Amino acid sequence: MNLDFLTPGTGADVVARSSMESQSRAAAGRFELRDGWNVAVEYSRSMDAAAAAVGWADVSHLTKLELQGESDALDAAAGARLPFGAAVRRHDAWWCRLTQTRALAVGGQPVRGDAAGVDVVDVTSSFAALTLVGPLAREVFARFCAIDLRPRVAPVRALRPGSVGRQPAIVIREGELRFLFLFGWATSEYMWSVVADAGTHLGGQPLGVDQLAAFPIAEADGA
Amino acid sequence: MSRLDQQPGELIDRTRTLSFTFDGKKVTAYAGDTIASALYAAGRRTFSRSFKYHRRRGLMCASGQCPNCICAVDGNPGVRACTEPVRDGIAVTHVNARPSLEFDAMRATDIFGSRLTPPGFYYKTFIRPRRLWPLYEKILRNAAGLGKLRSFQPEREWRTEYRRRHADVLVTGGGLAGLYAATAAAGLGADVVLVDEGPEPGGQLLLDGRGRELAALVAAAAAAGVEIIDRGSALGCFDGLVPVWQNDTLHQIRAPQHVFATGAIEQPLVFAGNDLPGVMLAGGARRLAALYAVCPGTRAVVATTSDRGIEAASALHALGVEILAVADLRDGESAAAAALKAEGVDVLIGHTVVAATGAKQVEHATVTPVGATGTAGDHNFDCDLVVVSGGTIPASSLPLQAGATTTYDAERGHFAISSLPPGVYAAGELAGAEEAELAAWSGELAGLRAAAAVGLGTEHSAARVAELEQLLAGAERATVTVAPPVSGVGRGKCFACICEDVTSKDIHLSIEEGYDSIELSKRYTTVTMGPCQGRMCQLPAVRLMAQATGRSLGDVGVTTARPPWVSVPMGILGGRPVEPAKRSPIHGRHRELGATVRWAGDWRRPYDYGDPEGEALNVNRAAGLIDVSTLGKLIVRGPDAGRFLDRLYPNRLSDLAPGRIRYGVISSDAGRIVDDGTVCRIDDETFYVTTTSAGAGAVDEWFSWWLATWGGDVRLTDVTQGLAAINLAGPRAREILAGVTELDCSNDGFRYLDAKQMQIAGVQCLILRIGFVGEVGYEIHCPAANGQHVWDALMEAGAEHGLRPFGLEPQRILRLQKMHIIVGQDTDSESTPFGAGMPWAVKLDKDDDFIGKWALEHYAQQTPATMLVGFTLPDGELPTEGAVVLDESGDPAGQVTSARRSPVLGHTIGMAWVPAAVAQDGAQVTISDAGRQLRAEIRTRPFYDPDGEVLRS
Amino acid sequence: MSFTLECPNCGVREVTDFGFGGEISVRPAERPSFRELNTYNYFRRNVAGVQREWWYHRSGCRAWFIAERDTTTNEVKSVSLP
Repeated sequence: MNLDFLTPGTGADVVARSSMESQSRAAAGRFELRDGWNVAVEYSRSMDAAAAAVGWADVSHLTKLELQGESDALDAAAGARLPFGAAVRRHDAWWCRLTQTRALAVGGQPVRGDAAGVDVVDVTSSFAALTLVGPLAREVFARFCAIDLRPRVAPVRALRPGSVGRQPAIVIREGELRFLFLFGWATSEYMWSVVADAGTHLGGQPLGVDQLAAFPIAEADGA
Repeated sequence: MSRLDQQPGELIDRTRTLSFTFDGKKVTAYAGDTIASALYAAGRRTFSRSFKYHRRRGLMCASGQCPNCICAVDGNPGVRACTEPVRDGIAVTHVNARPSLEFDAMRATDIFGSRLTPPGFYYKTFIRPRRLWPLYEKILRNAAGLGKLRSFQPEREWRTEYRRRHADVLVTGGGLAGLYAATAAAGLGADVVLVDEGPEPGGQLLLDGRGRELAALVAAAAAAGVEIIDRGSALGCFDGLVPVWQNDTLHQIRAPQHVFATGAIEQPLVFAGNDLPGVMLAGGARRLAALYAVCPGTRAVVATTSDRGIEAASALHALGVEILAVADLRDGESAAAAALKAEGVDVLIGHTVVAATGAKQVEHATVTPVGATGTAGDHNFDCDLVVVSGGTIPASSLPLQAGATTTYDAERGHFAISSLPPGVYAAGELAGAEEAELAAWSGELAGLRAAAAVGLGTEHSAARVAELEQLLAGAERATVTVAPPVSGVGRGKCFACICEDVTSKDIHLSIEEGYDSIELSKRYTTVTMGPCQGRMCQLPAVRLMAQATGRSLGDVGVTTARPPWVSVPMGILGGRPVEPAKRSPIHGRHRELGATVRWAGDWRRPYDYGDPEGEALNVNRAAGLIDVSTLGKLIVRGPDAGRFLDRLYPNRLSDLAPGRIRYGVISSDAGRIVDDGTVCRIDDETFYVTTTSAGAGAVDEWFSWWLATWGGDVRLTDVTQGLAAINLAGPRAREILAGVTELDCSNDGFRYLDAKQMQIAGVQCLILRIGFVGEVGYEIHCPAANGQHVWDALMEAGAEHGLRPFGLEPQRILRLQKMHIIVGQDTDSESTPFGAGMPWAVKLDKDDDFIGKWALEHYAQQTPATMLVGFTLPDGELPTEGAVVLDESGDPAGQVTSARRSPVLGHTIGMAWVPAAVAQDGAQVTISDAGRQLRAEIRTRPFYDPDGEVLRS
Repeated sequence: MSFTLECPNCGVREVTDFGFGGEISVRPAERPSFRELNTYNYFRRNVAGVQREWWYHRSGCRAWFIAERDTTTNEVKSVSLP
C-alpha cells in the first residue's frame, strides 16, 4: 500500500471539485474542466470592480505538496535555498519553507516522488486556496487578519503563515497587488463567505482564474 | 432658536437643515449639529434625569465626558447627545424618567426618600422583611438605569466590522500636541496613525477660533502621510494594541510606539446644587458657542480656579452674554483677570460659588469669599447660567493602561504622569504642557522620539530633540489654585459624583462606616463606577476622602483605570457575525437531502435526515452511509514511526502488519483517557492514524509535542481536512462495495480490521474494515476533492440494496448498542482505561516506556471506585444524560453518560459509571433523574451482537 | 491579553495565533514513586516572574517552541526551538 489515496482523482470519469464550487456557481461563475478539476475560469461581469477595488478567485485546484526532511535536503528538492519568511518561485510553483524540516510547494507540477532524503505527501486537498488581487486586497485582509501585510513589512514574495479569519492559513504575496492564501479545505465555505462579505463591502467581486492575468505573479527567482 | 452669528470655527452648515424628533416632538438642526446642540438651540435645558434621585440634569461638559445627556437614538440606549451627530429622521428619546422628562414621578426619591437611599442602601434599607427583597429588587431595578435595551433584535440593523491597522506610531488625541507629534514622526518617514475623538482634529484650538492655523496643521499632517481617524474613540491599550471605535468600524491598531496626547479633563466644582441644569463647565459653554454657535445663556456667573474660567468669561462676554460676576478662587489677580476687569466685568478675587438654586434650571447663584462661614459675605445673582472651571486632570487612563504611573502633583492639584514605559510618550496637557506653544513643542518632541525609536531620524532631528527638551525645561507654567473639596455645605445637596448621585455627605458617611480606602469607597458608594468612569468624580472623591481622613491625596491615591475608556456598543466589539465553521466536502449533498445540520465541535454536521431511529434501524436491517470526514487523520512516517506510536499508545502498534488495523486508546501520563481511534499500517514506515472528530487538533498537537520532546526520525502530516471519509455499514454493505470495486470483498478476501487500497468510481481510496456501528462496515477514505464523487457513486450503487444515509444521532444509537464509548461523552478527565472497561487496550508487558505507563501500572493494581457499564431500562423510561446513579444507601455514586431508545431492541439502553461492586451483569441500580427514580439492570457486554459475530461475518 | 509573540519560524504574531503548552516540566527519566508521579502530573510551579514555557504556532507553521516570558507583564524575553 502507499499514500496514493491522498492525491485527488482526475481521471476520465472523475471530476475533482473545490468546496467553494457552489458559492462560485451562485455568483454566476463559468466553469471549465482544467486537468480534471472543475474550475471557475471567468465571471460575466467586467473586471472594473477588481481593478478599482478587489477581486478574489478560487484556486483550490493548485497542487500542494508537503516536503519533510533535513533543511539541506529541502533546499536540494526545491533547487534553491529556501529562506524563512519568503516564498521562492520555481517551476511555476511557490516553494515555502515552514520550519527547518518542513516545506510546502504550491502550484505548477512540482517534482513528485521522493527526492533524496525528502518525504513528499500530497496535501492538495488539505488546503483550499484563494487569490486576492487589486488595490484594496490588503485592506480586505485587514478586515479579518491581524498579520502585518504593509508593503514595507511584507514585500513581494513574502511568506506569512498565520491566522486568517480565525483559522490557520498561509499567506503569500505573489505580486505587487496579488496575494495567495491557503487554508483548511473544510473551512472553504466559511472562508469564501468571510472574503466575499468584506470584499463586496469594499466594492469587489469574485474572479475566474483566467481573469487573474491582469495582476501578474512576480517573476521567477533566478536563484 | 438661540443661534449666534456665524462663529469662526463653527462646525455647522447653515445651508443644510435636518430634522429629528425628541420624545416625539420635531426638532430642526443644521448639518454638523450634535443632538444636544440642536436641542439646546431649540431651548431644551433638561436632558436627563439622574440615576438615583431623578433630578433634572442638563448639558455640562458638552464633550462626551459627563453622563448628563445620555439618551436613546432609534431605540438604542447609552448615546451621548452632545457628541452624537444629528442624522435626518432619527428618533431620540430620553431615558430614566417616568412618565416624562418634565414630570418624573420618581423625583420623590430626592424629595422624600434620600434617607432611604444612603450608600450601600441595597444592604441596609431594603433587607427586611427578607421575603420582600424580590419585590424591592424589581422596583429598584426599574427605578435605576440608563435606558432599556431592546430585548430582542431579529437581526443586526447595522453592519459593524473590524479593521486591523499596523503602524509605526499611533498618536492618540488630535489636538495641537497630537498633530505636531504625528507630523513630526511622519516627516521622518514613520507610518503614523492619528486618532481623534472629535468631529475633526483640533482639540482646544477649535474653541480658540484658530481655524486657519488648525487647517494648516491638519493639511501638513495629511501631506506627511498621517492617516487621520476622526470621530474615533480609543477604547483602551492592551499590550500595545489599541482598539478604536469609529462609526461602524473597530480599528485594531497595533503599533510599537504610542504617543498619547489625550489632553485634560476639566473638573467641576462641588457646591450646593452643582448638578442643576444651567451649571456648565467652562469648556462646555465654549464648545456650544464656538462649534455650534449656540448661546449657552443670557446672564452668567463664572467660578474658576484658573485662567480657563477667565478665558471662558471673556469669550462669552464678547458674544454678548451678560457676565454678572466672575468668582476667581485664586488669591491673586492674574493678567487675564485684570484684562477682563478692564472690560467692565466684575471679578471677585478669592471668591467661589457655594450654591445654585432654581426650579427647573439655575435661577440664582450665590458667591462668597473662599473659606467664609455663614451668609454674611454672600453675593446673590439672578442668572440662567453658572460656568464653572475647577481645574483639570490629565486624561491619563490610556497611558496608565499602557504602563504609565501617576503621582499627586500638589501644585496642580491633580494626579500627573510620573513615569512612562519604553515606547510610550505623553504630550500636551497630558504632559503638563497647557499653553499652546508648550503643547506644540511637547508634541513635536514626542513625535521625533517615537520615530527615533523605530530607527528613523536625522542629525537635524536629533538636534531638534535636544533643542525642544531645553525649551520645555525652561518654560514657565500658569498658576492654578486647588479648589476646596466642597463649598456650600449645609446649603443643599453637593454632588461629588453626578453619574451615581453620590453627595459629599455620602462619601463622609461611607468613611465613617469604615470604607476609608479609595478602592473600598468606590465599591461601596459606586463613585467612579458610572458612565463618566471617574472623569468628573475621581478627583472630588479623592479630595473629600483626603480631607475627611487627614491623609494627603498622594496617600489616598486613585482607583485603577480600566478599559473601555468610552462606552461602546457591544455590536462594535462583536464584529462580523460569521462563525468559523468546518464542513465536510460532501456537505452540499447533506443539504440537498434535507439533513438537520447542527454544530458538532467546530463542524457543521448532519444530525439526522429526518428519522433518526429509522436511519439506525436501516443500518441494522439493510445498509447505511454516514459522512465521517470529521475524523482526525494523521500520517505518521519514518524509520522510528512504529516505536513512536508504541510510546504514545498503551498498546503495541509496531508489530502491526501492513494492511492491518488496530484500535487504540491514547492515555495521558496520569493514565487518563485522552482520545481513541484506529491505527492502520500502510507500509513498514508509514502509519495512518485516525482520531475522534473533537480530538483531531489536540491529538496532532500532542503527537508533535512529544516528537519535539523526544526527537526521532518521524514525520507527521495532518490530513484531517484533506480526506473525506464515508462509512458504509450494514448487512448489505459488502454487496454494495463489491458493486463499485474490483476487489474481493468476501469475508476471507477482506477481513475484519483489514485495510485495502482500491479505486472506487475511478478514485483511489483507502478502505478500513472496522465496525463502530456494529455491522459489517467499511470506512472509505478518499481525497476531499473527490468526496462528493465517491458519495454519489456509493449512493447510486446502494439504491437497489436499500442504502440510506444516516446522521450523527443514529450513529450514536448504533454505537451505544455496541457499547462503543465516545471519548468525552462516556469518559471524562478522570477516566482510566481500566475504569472504562477496556483493560485490553493497555499492554503493561511492553518492555519500553510509554505515556501513562507508570500511572496505569498503579491503576492496574487497584479496583476503580466506579466503572463504566451498560444498563437497560424498559421502553419509555429514558433517563437524561448526566442523571445520577445512586448507591445502596441512596447517595450519589455515579452518573449516566449516554441513554437512547434502541429501535432494533425495542427498549432503552445506556451507559453509566456505577460503583464497582455492582458493575456486573444482572445487577440492579437506581438512577435518580429530576425527581424520578428508575431501576436499571446492569450489562457489561454489548447489547447488540455481544460476541461480534455479525461484525466479523 | 493581547501581547505578541515571535514564532522562531514565522515571525511576530498576535498571541491568539498560538496555543499555550504550559510551563516546561521534566518527565521523570526513571520509574517515579507514586508521589513523584503525581507531582509531575498535577503540580506546577506557577511562577510569578520569568518562566520557560511551551508555545505552539497553531495558526501558522504548527511547530512547538520555547518562550521565556514574564508572567507578570507578558513580556517575552526570548524564543527558541526545542
